Amino acid sequence: MQGVFAQTTPAHALKNVTIHHADGSTTESATIVWRNGVIEAIGINAAIPFDAFEIDGGDSLHVYPGFIDGFSTLGSPSLPKSQDLPKLDDPGNPPYYRSGVQPERKPSELLTEDKNFEAIMKVGFTTAALYPDGYMLPGQVEAFYLSSSHNNVGLIKGPLGLAGSFDTAPGGWSSGAYPSTLMGVMAKFRQVMFDATALQQHIKYYEQNPEMPAPDRDRVLEAMFPLVNNSTPLFFEVDSKEHIERILKIQDEFGFNVVIVSGKEAYAKADELKRRNIPVLAGIDFTDMPKWYAEMKKEEEKDEAEVEQEEEAAEEEEISEEEQNYREKQLEAWKAEVTNIKKLMDSGVSVGFSSAGLELKDLSAKIEILLDEGGLTETDLVTLMSANTANILGLNRTHGSLERGKNASFSVFDKAMTEEKAKVLHSISNGIIHEFNGN
Amino acid sequence: MTKLITLCLILAFSTTAYAQEKGSVLIQNATVITVTNGDLEETDVLIRDGVIREIGKDLNAPRGVETVDATGKFVMPGIIDAHSHLNGVDINEARNPVTAEVTMEESVDPNEVGIYHALAGGATTIHLMHGSANVIGGQGETLKLRYGVSQEEMKFENAKRTIKFALGENPTRVHGQGNGVQPRTRMGVEQVVRGHFDEALDYKRKREAYLEAKAQYDRRGRGTPPVPVAENLRYEVLNDIIEGEIFVHCHSYRADEILMLMRVFNDYGIENYTFQHANEAFKVANELAKNGAMTSVFSDWWAYKFEVYYSTAYNASILNANGVVNSINSDNDQLLRTLNHEAAKVVRYGDTSVNDAIKMITLHPAIQLGIDDRVGSIEEGKHGDVVVWDGHPLSIYSKAEMTFVDGTKYFDLANDPDDMRIQINPGTDFDDGSNFRKIVDNRDEDACIQDTFILLQDQAQTHAHN
Amino acid sequence: MKKLNIFAVIVTLLFGLNATAEAQITDKPEFGKFAITGATIHTVTNGTIESGIILIDGEEIAFVGENARITNEYTRIDASGKHVYPGFIDGWSGLGLVEISAVPVTVDNAELGQFNPHMYAFTAFNPHSASIPVTRVSGVTTVLSHPSSGSIAGKAAVMDLWGYSPDSMAVKKSGALVMNLPSSSGGGWWDDRSEEEIKKQYEQNLKEINDFLDKARFYDQMMKEYESDPSDKTKPDYDPRMEAMREVLAGDVPVVISVNDEKEILDAIDWIKDNDDMNFIFEGVREGWRVAEEIAETGVPVLTTTLYTPSRDYDNYQRPYQNPGLMAQAGVKVAVVSDDIENSRNTPFEAGYAATYGMGVEEALKAVTIYPAEIFGVADRLGSLEAGKQANLFIADGDPFEPMTNIEQVFIKGYKIPMVSRHIQLYQEFLDRDAVNE
Repeated sequence: MQGVFAQTTPAHALKNVTIHHADGSTTESATIVWRNGVIEAIGINAAIPFDAFEIDGGDSLHVYPGFIDGFSTLGSPSLPKSQDLPKLDDPGNPPYYRSGVQPERKPSELLTEDKNFEAIMKVGFTTAALYPDGYMLPGQVEAFYLSSSHNNVGLIKGPLGLAGSFDTAPGGWSSGAYPSTLMGVMAKFRQVMFDATALQQHIKYYEQNPEMPAPDRDRVLEAMFPLVNNSTPLFFEVDSKEHIERILKIQDEFGFNVVIVSGKEAYAKADELKRRNIPVLAGIDFTDMPKWYAEMKKEEEKDEAEVEQEEEAAEEEEISEEEQNYREKQLEAWKAEVTNIKKLMDSGVSVGFSSAGLELKDLSAKIEILLDEGGLTETDLVTLMSANTANILGLNRTHGSLERGKNASFSVFDKAMTEEKAKVLHSISNGIIHEFNGN
Repeated sequence: MTKLITLCLILAFSTTAYAQEKGSVLIQNATVITVTNGDLEETDVLIRDGVIREIGKDLNAPRGVETVDATGKFVMPGIIDAHSHLNGVDINEARNPVTAEVTMEESVDPNEVGIYHALAGGATTIHLMHGSANVIGGQGETLKLRYGVSQEEMKFENAKRTIKFALGENPTRVHGQGNGVQPRTRMGVEQVVRGHFDEALDYKRKREAYLEAKAQYDRRGRGTPPVPVAENLRYEVLNDIIEGEIFVHCHSYRADEILMLMRVFNDYGIENYTFQHANEAFKVANELAKNGAMTSVFSDWWAYKFEVYYSTAYNASILNANGVVNSINSDNDQLLRTLNHEAAKVVRYGDTSVNDAIKMITLHPAIQLGIDDRVGSIEEGKHGDVVVWDGHPLSIYSKAEMTFVDGTKYFDLANDPDDMRIQINPGTDFDDGSNFRKIVDNRDEDACIQDTFILLQDQAQTHAHN
Repeated sequence: MKKLNIFAVIVTLLFGLNATAEAQITDKPEFGKFAITGATIHTVTNGTIESGIILIDGEEIAFVGENARITNEYTRIDASGKHVYPGFIDGWSGLGLVEISAVPVTVDNAELGQFNPHMYAFTAFNPHSASIPVTRVSGVTTVLSHPSSGSIAGKAAVMDLWGYSPDSMAVKKSGALVMNLPSSSGGGWWDDRSEEEIKKQYEQNLKEINDFLDKARFYDQMMKEYESDPSDKTKPDYDPRMEAMREVLAGDVPVVISVNDEKEILDAIDWIKDNDDMNFIFEGVREGWRVAEEIAETGVPVLTTTLYTPSRDYDNYQRPYQNPGLMAQAGVKVAVVSDDIENSRNTPFEAGYAATYGMGVEEALKAVTIYPAEIFGVADRLGSLEAGKQANLFIADGDPFEPMTNIEQVFIKGYKIPMVSRHIQLYQEFLDRDAVNE
């Protein structure tokens, strides 16, 4: 993808664009100037320095703060298939990596080729907090600015925390290992924390007293020390109310900070989350709209003439009371899912965004649902995916909004983001321009 | 096209209606089966704030307390099932022969609709157990069937801690045959128990020594610090068992393995344990009684495995006649709903009296779970866990009409909606096959072995329904 | 802990066990002429007789009625205050074919291969199974023992539960052909095939069955032609499978199809329309209540149970219990069965639930007596207390649907059987294990 725009000019200026700010305000016919990856000036009357290459937006382009994906496995090495894992002789005492305990892994050390880097930029993301794909303790979370090639994806800050989930050990029936159940994962987690505590104590003692037996150094346990010392948060991917309750229980036992990722049912624990200051990097991978409801909505959009014709032609569809009752409950459950983020926002919980396994091709459909049925406005959405997420990740000093002094990460759309068929033409990530031109 | 639905959602059922409350109710003029004090005719039971306050004739209804006219009906304590897997998220952490550190407390699904079905069958408390894949399995959790509350609120407050052991075919097949890990034989099973107990005692010694030395070193700041001994969850639990803080419930069948465990427990000073299933317990009733061991058995399941081939439906009666505290359990979601009739079978198979049979699904399981001071009979001061039946509970023609837990009505036959789901999956349509549950019927042998694949292979074809 | 009172136990042994205390495993039955007097007789087909008389002569019931002259050759059995019922029939069981489900070498109900109409349960039925005495002392005197595997599993047999050889126990060697139609609705939440895959597999399996039946029909036709006039024809090769299908195609042996959910039942109803040379029975039918009228229209009888958990998340918990009653009310002939092996003895309790939840006691009683007899074509001999029928009956101290009732004496084919079984034996041995003979 060869850019028309030279990357070698000292500074850049994009003028005559509509800027959609993270707080919901818009500035029309505005200008952004950036240099060395930092925004130098922004506004209607921003002065364009002599050494800035000018690009004219023609008053038709829309600029949004670069969206931040709060928790993603982009660039992560793929996981081996169950059948490829060798059977263990002692499944009850597996090596750490077979249990899914791999907190020592850093995405920055493992990044691989991933075509989704570019794909996600094409929908407005410039920044992502990445972690390596895995199981109960897959690794550490680090923030990156995005680029098409994984070689150019650059570390902004890290580690932001450790990643965790209730996923059981890989291997399935034949090559499985402990822990293979939810309760096993919880017990294993505790034991790893206890073992790390003991090791840390031993290392500390040994440093003061080299004549005592030396500790068995262990990369895995040592990567847990920040969690043991409560100096780093645990980014925990959970959805159900019950799972959230379980991670809160673990939090009570060990005291570290928690960030909930995905959190589809988090609204049910909103008060508790607020009380504990636990933010949610919400997922939007909702269940599809019930088919019958989608049809019903299509009906409503048709004009009367069509409806009459259809009524004559079609058979009377009788729904039993049982099915009607079923549909009511189904719809209520679906609406609860899609209004999750709104409810969290309304109760004062800090809510950001994470893709959490969402397939990119589904992103715009889910966003449409959020706006139509989820009670969110475009402003809410922009704030959610930029400033809010930056706050939660601790990147808000440099990212999350378009202001002087902040990082130059933003997307240039050919029309307002929520309009049909809006496309990202250019993505500016850490000041570097990536051109898509509607491809 | 007919408007199929209005967008105003009119939902009949709201979870807040069943919030965990201690309720009050006056049940009037019933035949009250107290279990411990005979059957009292034309008697009232007054429950205030979850506790049975008074049992007597013509009691006054306090202001604001709902009354239930139970003339001609029977009131019995809620049924207690000492062996259930009804609402476990997982049942078996089957990767290691000893997994004392895991607990069903962390495997509770409060949204399982089977909880409501069990209430409809007159059950109010279940012992949610780990499965029988391991010699020493996970800890159990005693739950009250408060349908609609959170997992935490389902817990039977301050119930005794329990843990699952398993002997015989299940652990030897899962670990010995399945993974090549001891035990493969009944000899191995004994040594797994002893070996782990011994390791646990060693751990305790070392851990306590470390903690003491650490405290000293940290205080004084000089000398040589101790090498840290990490806290070990598994050994901590094993020590709790040895110290009597955890009631053991041991899945077992053969008489000789029952004797083996009693021998082992006597060596380690473990006193409170119940043999579960124990199809051959009748052969060693004397020894069980002498050791104060208890049993929790099926009424009539047998012959589905070799270790139950030589068993008898008269098991419960023999045990009862020889002074063993025995209960009848289900280990099965369907039997849980008909435990009253399982108890009735005990009257047929042997010389057990009706009241003794009723004890086996009320007071005796309560004793085995360490909650008999609070439930298991209708006595003043006990919890208001009672069921109103339209006939004698052991008759096949009787139905449970109302089920109260802590004085709160959780089931009412007169107001029993069809769809009692709490957890709705919006992605499933009405006639979607994924709505269809795994049918549990009488023949779902040994539910204890869920989450382990090894036994499924043999059972696959022998009892295909379709 | 209760102290074991030896005296109380011995007293109990001697007086508390009634008939069972005396019987030993080696006891012989009695046979000949019996007069059972004073009991309430539940004939099933001719109402109830308070305090009536039943005369048994050899294998048959000689008389059922209020009054009779009883001559001296008749051994009298005073059954005052008791109840007499026809022996119950469990219309769907694996009894005798499987000894211990978890031990494969004792499992003989599932032959390899998809099409096995020539496999006879009768052949593998073990008359000495430990489960048989356990079953018959509970009042279930006859079972349909069936194979289970593949698309056509084989032929189920109607067997009386007294005898030392399958030959002497068989009421009908070819009781029914067992067929498994593929399921069109998928396996539930744990089945992760796509809808298309399910449909494809269904159609493929169905085609295989249809092809097999077409070949069977052709064979039958061909053989009929040959047999009517073999003179100028070459004898076609004998095919045991096809040969076994001939009595089925003639409509003499019914076909049992297991179907459970609504879609399966409706698909089966459709399919049998194209196969009306055969007679059908539906088994399972858990969602029969949803399509009761459609089933009634076909005239197909149903074998079903009640003690299982509801099939759908949103079903009322009572549905399994109500199912037989709802179908019966719509006009379906419903037999209640155990669908069990070693606990076929629980058939009466399945029926008891059906009775309580809508079927009513009278219809539920028929569901375990005359209906299964009619369904399997043995109603001339079994299913009710009528003169001329086989003497399969039992004396109980109450309602046999009630679990607390004691079944005191069972007759099968006129044999007054010793009321012993492994279970009773173990009870006698271990109630007071350490007692010694003085």
